[in-house]
Amino acid sequence: MSSLFGSAPSAAPQTSEEIKAAVVRQLQTEAAMSNARSLIGKVNKHCFQACVPTPGTSLSAKENTCLSSCMEKYIAMWNVTSRTYITRVGTETKRLGGQDAAAIASMATGQPEGGSGILG
Amino acid sequence: METQLDLTKLSENDKKELNQVLNNEAQKGNIQQTVHHLNEVCWQKCITSKITSGTLDKSEEACAQNCVDRWMDTSLSILQKLENMRGH
Repeated sequence: MSSLFGSAPSAAPQTSEEIKAAVVRQLQTEAAMSNARSLIGKVNKHCFQACVPTPGTSLSAKENTCLSSCMEKYIAMWNVTSRTYITRVGTETKRLGGQDAAAIASMATGQPEGGSGILG
Repeated sequence: METQLDLTKLSENDKKELNQVLNNEAQKGNIQQTVHHLNEVCWQKCITSKITSGTLDKSEEACAQNCVDRWMDTSLSILQKLENMRGH
């Protein structure tokens, strides 16, 4: 949805419909930002730990290569974790007799492509 | 993005719709935070060797899946135990 309106020149929203769309857009942007911020923090923490055991005067080429791999790996794992978690929550909800089914449904659709692809 | 939005102009229907969107986003955010937490825990347990590639190998992927499922088992088991304690 954000891509639909993303590049449109934004006059101040006037109608109820426009205001609603603007709020939704802002909400989604902020949610995406917050998610990205969390991810960046975790990647930084774990990849620094894994790739820079003894910090020198600058990052070595080896450390840089490791950081790239580590970042990709962390995101790959995030997608596996997300998919597994959402599948499991779905199973448990069904087992408990579908209470909260609407909530679970919104979770499942909330993740792009069934939970794969953290960056959208 | 910084424009001031006049929320009083919203129709009742749109207010309801917005409320729904808000709830969904909040729920999505909660799930994402849980996944961030889980991924961190499972990263520490499953990625133990030197990082040489940007993809997960078969055993790492299996470990990640088991990690999430056993974490859920643990969570459910604790809830069950608490429930039993409360019953006495």
